[in-house]
Amino acid sequence: MTGLTILHLYPRELGINGDRGNVTVLARRAGWRGIDATVVEHSPGSGELPDADIIVVGSGPLSAMRSVHADLLSHAARLRDLVSGGAALLAVSGGMHLLGAKIELEDGTVLEGAGVLPLRSVLTAKRSVGDLVVETPAGTLVGYENHGSLVTLEGGAKPLGTVRSGFGNGGAGGGEGVRVGSAIGTHLGGPVLALNPALADELLTAAIARRGGALGASADETIGRIDEWARLARETVAAHPSSY
Amino acid sequence: MKIAPDFLERTIADLPLGVVAVSGSNGKSTTTNMVSAILRAHGLRVFTNPSGGNLPQGIASAVLADASGSGRLAADVAVLEIDEAYGVQLSQLLKPRTVLLLNVQIDQLNRFFEPDRVAGMLAKIASTATGALVLNADDEHLVGLGEALPAGTSARVSYFATAPELLGAVSQGMLSAPRFGSAATATATTPDVVATALDGREATIEVDGVPTSVRLPARGVHYAVDAAAAVAAARAALGERFSAATAASALAELETVYGRGETLSANGEDIEIIMMKNPASLQLNLDSLGTTPEQVFLAVDNGTPDPSWLYDIDLSRLSHADVISGTKGYQLAVRLAYDGLPVGVVEPELRAAVRRFLALRRPATGRKTMIVNYEQMMLIRKILGYTDLEGGQS
Repeated sequence: MTGLTILHLYPRELGINGDRGNVTVLARRAGWRGIDATVVEHSPGSGELPDADIIVVGSGPLSAMRSVHADLLSHAARLRDLVSGGAALLAVSGGMHLLGAKIELEDGTVLEGAGVLPLRSVLTAKRSVGDLVVETPAGTLVGYENHGSLVTLEGGAKPLGTVRSGFGNGGAGGGEGVRVGSAIGTHLGGPVLALNPALADELLTAAIARRGGALGASADETIGRIDEWARLARETVAAHPSSY
Repeated sequence: MKIAPDFLERTIADLPLGVVAVSGSNGKSTTTNMVSAILRAHGLRVFTNPSGGNLPQGIASAVLADASGSGRLAADVAVLEIDEAYGVQLSQLLKPRTVLLLNVQIDQLNRFFEPDRVAGMLAKIASTATGALVLNADDEHLVGLGEALPAGTSARVSYFATAPELLGAVSQGMLSAPRFGSAATATATTPDVVATALDGREATIEVDGVPTSVRLPARGVHYAVDAAAAVAAARAALGERFSAATAASALAELETVYGRGETLSANGEDIEIIMMKNPASLQLNLDSLGTTPEQVFLAVDNGTPDPSWLYDIDLSRLSHADVISGTKGYQLAVRLAYDGLPVGVVEPELRAAVRRFLALRRPATGRKTMIVNYEQMMLIRKILGYTDLEGGQS
């Protein structure tokens, strides 16, 4: 096992709320398993996308989404190829909306999406802000959502999980985010992987499998301590989720 | 409160030099204080709102308290700090002669959602200025706002700025939120007040190219920026009467501030408080620390509903944390651990956590450090036996 490449799309534009934390978490957790992770940042105009094992994209205001839109569309086919070829993907909020089929803005105009994820989004004046607790087959995910959007999945795609508290794609009890294999979109904002290390390890496992390897155990004791703190952090939020 | 708007309007309209309104994401209280001091030093009677009382109720009750007898304010000018979100409504009421806008930063996203929205609020405040609009030339959103003022705006626009060498001292250059989309800062602004040098608390501020030495109330680039802003606004309000020397002596007489918060005392030890309000303020406060703090306590509760932004902060000024507390304590511990910073213990219960921290051996510097949000600071003050109501918010 040599190493992994993490492709971080538009860190400056789509990084409004600690989004780069997801990249930090992936690189650190790979490192603790003795796997070298190289982070490649891509900005508008910085040329062809490299081969990548994990692709990470965060969130930002509509002005920032517009500022990367043309560049993103120019790389859409390449991104679709990477994901269908087994690269893992994490797209958060605005980044998830951009990777869908299309986004309808508040004034009714439509932004074409990159078509990487099977969903479409409608931006709304009503904002969903607060703790988001999501039940998934692999356990409870906890984070914070801050968006004004309604997301509809296409072609029978499955959500990442079911909303226990918060809004998610379209309201409590409904779906949240999307999952196609190891390609994940979610409204769990900012550094979702820090609070939910199982999701981080799932992405790493898929990425390493793409290189023909397996995610081993860690010799570093930090990982046990950090995951226990993350568990307690999730428990604290899930016990009294709040909205604003 | 129903009568407050009309009352406010009438009382304020009587002021000979009108209102100076101060808004922006960060530095409102400090800058309002500085503008007030400079105007007083020029012989004016100044009415101002107490630190943090920047919502409509706070301003109305301050005016009521001052003017209840005579129905008039005993002042020549009002210098008012106004909250971004309420500024629109307030400034329409107050019709400020001078509007000073400091910055648009990533701030309280649970309340403001995104910086673009704050920029929109400030644009509305700006459009109510009748005499002068003073803007930060280093803030892309505010420069954009200055370029796109609605037709019919009569206010004269001027800029203050900070020399690039000074801004470079701030890690990640995060004084203002980036602005996306429009051809950013196409027009070169010509600031007439510039903070050009900083050495400890000694700053140089140039007014129309003429340098004046200024002693700041505390270390840190943000104080130099605030001082330049205050000088620019005072100058706009005073016109010909403005004297840079008078402004400098007014700033030198301001009460000294340590860090961004204050210093508390327990068991004969000093406890330096660092406020964790938003990314820019925490980063600036960390950057202005002279040395790596020897003993560190962190506490954040639901007053900061989403501490995700901590992943954007450069924590290299810290070497570790001894005790972490608050309902967001476990989230803080995770954050520090991903940066490789050792964490002693997480104790969610604040009183027990403070006790553990105080029990640590006396630090060699004689000073312990607490990094906390506003809500936790107020509780800690109580735990340590402080009963007074002061304790400045930012």
